[in-house]
Amino acid sequence: MATKEKNPDKGVENGKEVEPKSAEEIFEEFKEHSVAEFFTKNKQMLGFSGKVRSLTTVIHEYVTNGLDACEEAGILPDITVKITSVQEEHYLVKVADNGPGIPLDHIGRALGMMLSGTKFHRYMQQRGQQGIGATGCTMFAQLTSGKPIHIRSSTGNGKVYECNVSVNIKTNMPNVSDVQEYEGEFRGVEVMAEFADVKYDRSEYSPLEYLKRTAIANPHAEISFIDPEGRKVRFPRVSESLPERPHEVQPHPLGLESHTLYELMRISPARKVSSFMTTELVRVTSSKVDELRNVIPQFDFDMSPKDVTWEDARRLVAGFKKVKWVAPSAEGLRPIGNDQIEISLRSLLSPEYLSVRSRPPKVYKGGVPFIVEAAISYGGKSGARTEAGSVGGEIMRFSNRSPLLFDAGGCAITKAVKGIEWKRYGISDFDTIPVTVFVNILSAFVPYTGAGKQSIASEPEVVDEIKFAVMDVARDLQRYIAGKVREETRATKRKAIIRYIQLLSEHLPMLANTGNKEDLEKKLTVLVFDKFKADEAEEDKKEKKTRVLMEEEGNESDSDSDGKIEFDEEDM
Amino acid sequence: MAEKKKSDEKTTVAHDKLVTMGREMVQEINMSESPSFLTPVRSRSNIKSDPDTGALYLGGSKETRTFVHVSQAKKFMQTVAIASKLKSFLEQGLHTSIRGLYYQLKFSIGEDVDEELFSEQSESNPLIEDLEASLDLKREDFNLSTDRKGVVAGNMTIKDKFGGDESIIDAAKQGRSGWMIPSDVDNGMEFVDIDADYVLVVEKDALWQRLNEDKFWKKNNCILITPKGQASRGTRRLIRKLADKKIPIYVFTDCDAWGWYIYWAIKTGSMNLAYLSKSLATPEARFIGVTMSDIEHYDFLKKLTITAKEVDIKRAQEMLSYPWISKHKQWVDELNIVLKTKKKIEQDALQGQRLTFVGDYVKEKITSGEILP
Repeated sequence: MATKEKNPDKGVENGKEVEPKSAEEIFEEFKEHSVAEFFTKNKQMLGFSGKVRSLTTVIHEYVTNGLDACEEAGILPDITVKITSVQEEHYLVKVADNGPGIPLDHIGRALGMMLSGTKFHRYMQQRGQQGIGATGCTMFAQLTSGKPIHIRSSTGNGKVYECNVSVNIKTNMPNVSDVQEYEGEFRGVEVMAEFADVKYDRSEYSPLEYLKRTAIANPHAEISFIDPEGRKVRFPRVSESLPERPHEVQPHPLGLESHTLYELMRISPARKVSSFMTTELVRVTSSKVDELRNVIPQFDFDMSPKDVTWEDARRLVAGFKKVKWVAPSAEGLRPIGNDQIEISLRSLLSPEYLSVRSRPPKVYKGGVPFIVEAAISYGGKSGARTEAGSVGGEIMRFSNRSPLLFDAGGCAITKAVKGIEWKRYGISDFDTIPVTVFVNILSAFVPYTGAGKQSIASEPEVVDEIKFAVMDVARDLQRYIAGKVREETRATKRKAIIRYIQLLSEHLPMLANTGNKEDLEKKLTVLVFDKFKADEAEEDKKEKKTRVLMEEEGNESDSDSDGKIEFDEEDM
Repeated sequence: MAEKKKSDEKTTVAHDKLVTMGREMVQEINMSESPSFLTPVRSRSNIKSDPDTGALYLGGSKETRTFVHVSQAKKFMQTVAIASKLKSFLEQGLHTSIRGLYYQLKFSIGEDVDEELFSEQSESNPLIEDLEASLDLKREDFNLSTDRKGVVAGNMTIKDKFGGDESIIDAAKQGRSGWMIPSDVDNGMEFVDIDADYVLVVEKDALWQRLNEDKFWKKNNCILITPKGQASRGTRRLIRKLADKKIPIYVFTDCDAWGWYIYWAIKTGSMNLAYLSKSLATPEARFIGVTMSDIEHYDFLKKLTITAKEVDIKRAQEMLSYPWISKHKQWVDELNIVLKTKKKIEQDALQGQRLTFVGDYVKEKITSGEILP
């Protein structure tokens, strides 16, 4: 996280040599050089690193925008994605949605200007949040293929427009050209963009895998995909219920990072930092501002928010952490919901067994609310398949419904799942069992490890909560597997005993010179199955007892969650 | 099995017992009870030994075999199937081996027959033992034959009814090979005439052949038997029956663990077959030798001892701990010599000086009465 805060800063400071500057100077410089520098310096962090990953990031940004737009407008999303090969490591990407569309006079700002997306100054639990994504793609297209992106959009009023959009790297101003308007029946946005120096493959980091997981987290979306070889994949809509619209919430001081705070203040109409804080941040009262004055006495709370520097913003964020805050409300959180998760995992993985749990909201960092949803899917198409054809445990990570494909190793979800003692749940080796573990973390302030937003920071409370959620579903699975084994044993036993009854009834009359086969068989069957039923009931009773014991044990560890569970130093 | 031979025997005891067992099971089922039968516990805990003779026998503990029990159902069903097969063998007057029985069952039961149970020698088969012990009969009584082992020669004639024929066996006219003792010496077998002062049981076939060539049994009016090592059920049963005729039994083995075991198995029965001891053990049997104390009388044997092995030493120690052995001073002395010298001696050693000495040795021992109880 430290890097994330530093980098935008560096763009400014490293450009200059020595002397301290006035806020105006810095801001002017930022305006002139920041966009290009910001992008090139932060390309990696934004997900544009590696040929495969860059392409997946592009798909991610566009699909995310489409889904968010549809949901906000209350439309069931239809997303189509097509990747066509132009030449080697050079592709044409086409992503279309059926959302509300973007009016022509907004398109430049939406796709050709950094840090100015409609989402930026509103805080809600949404997939994209920084307003970097789509414009980043525009810039990435420009830098790799030399071409602007092409847009077709309509708000559904019968008028369709098409245009090219690019970013003026010098001024960070959008450049909209070749505008054509015509009559047509279309609603939504269709983006066509060319990217070079990227690569399509079918690995676990591919756009295909990304779309598959997006479909899992969004059962209400219809997603279709055509890959460069012309193969069509369709992830059908399996639920008609549109997620509840996210509540807009103002940012909470603890959820802010310095560059976001800086940007918020830059566009704030407030006259003083103190009034910006009490009006545009949640849970900040004037007495809290006074507390802050004591914590960071060198900071001038009466200056205009527009005069605040990156360094000021950082000092302020550091100050926030030293003050006790009333926790932000968890109201804005919008889980996918057990039913919806179940529908989509069933439809996609056709599992033999599935358990879904969502846990009540918890807080991390002393006050940021979050919710963990977890599911475990066993059998069917569950699990990751290697090229050699073997199946192993798979972890599907999501945050705010958005799949996380990259940086798995450092992610709190991976750590939590791998840290579970699977043997206790009847799974001898997680890496050889057809199991898919699904984890979705919901928060208006997901603690990502970087601006690439592919990995969740190992906040102890978050890791614990993920662990407990997964342990809940793992316990369900264990019960299922144990029951299945028991049922199989019983069925085998029953089958065998029926055969023994037949054979005994056949031989006994020959031995005794009396008795009738059918009659003996009937009587023996009654005798045997009465006994079996009693035996099985006894067995079930025993099993139930151990289950209760186990659950009690589980709850105990649950109550330990207040920091008692220890992590390896690496994890921290 | 297609041609049915009418058994010329009257309904045998074995047949009756089998049918009765079946009837009781049918009755139990009709009374809504699990079919079952009682059988003596054959585990070591229930094996007792007669303090006087050392004869092993089963104590009074019994256990129930029952069908309505997860772990017993299969075995119970197989036991009943075996019983019904044995009954039909008896009715047909035909004999077969355990292996033959296995294929009979496989034909009618199929994959539910537990091959494991039938793959080993008869004595390891717990289901048949259940029937034997439960009904107080030997498997031979069920027309189940076991491997033959053991040879006899001497003045003894036997009537043998078998396969519908009847023949008279004269054990004095069997030339160099002797008469091979059948697995069943009870059913269809009858002594016609016996003229013998004693029975000599010689552990090793080689020694038996030596004595047979010397006409030892003819010259000394005895019956000469070799079990060829450990005595088979048929051989033990024959010895028991000869003892019943009040003929003294002398056993002549190596002086080592194996030889002693052969002697004591004939005399007291074995753990495995404790449930049959009554009809197999011969507590009257006496031990001729070879003994370590023989060295005192036959000087040349001194050179012919060999080093005792660990198993011999251990066995000697074990025997000293059995009360029915340790109460005999002669055995205690004998075993102590073995433990002290760590030597043993084979019966073959008696030929070391002169081949025909073996017969002289036996004669001298019997005449002098220097035999062990």
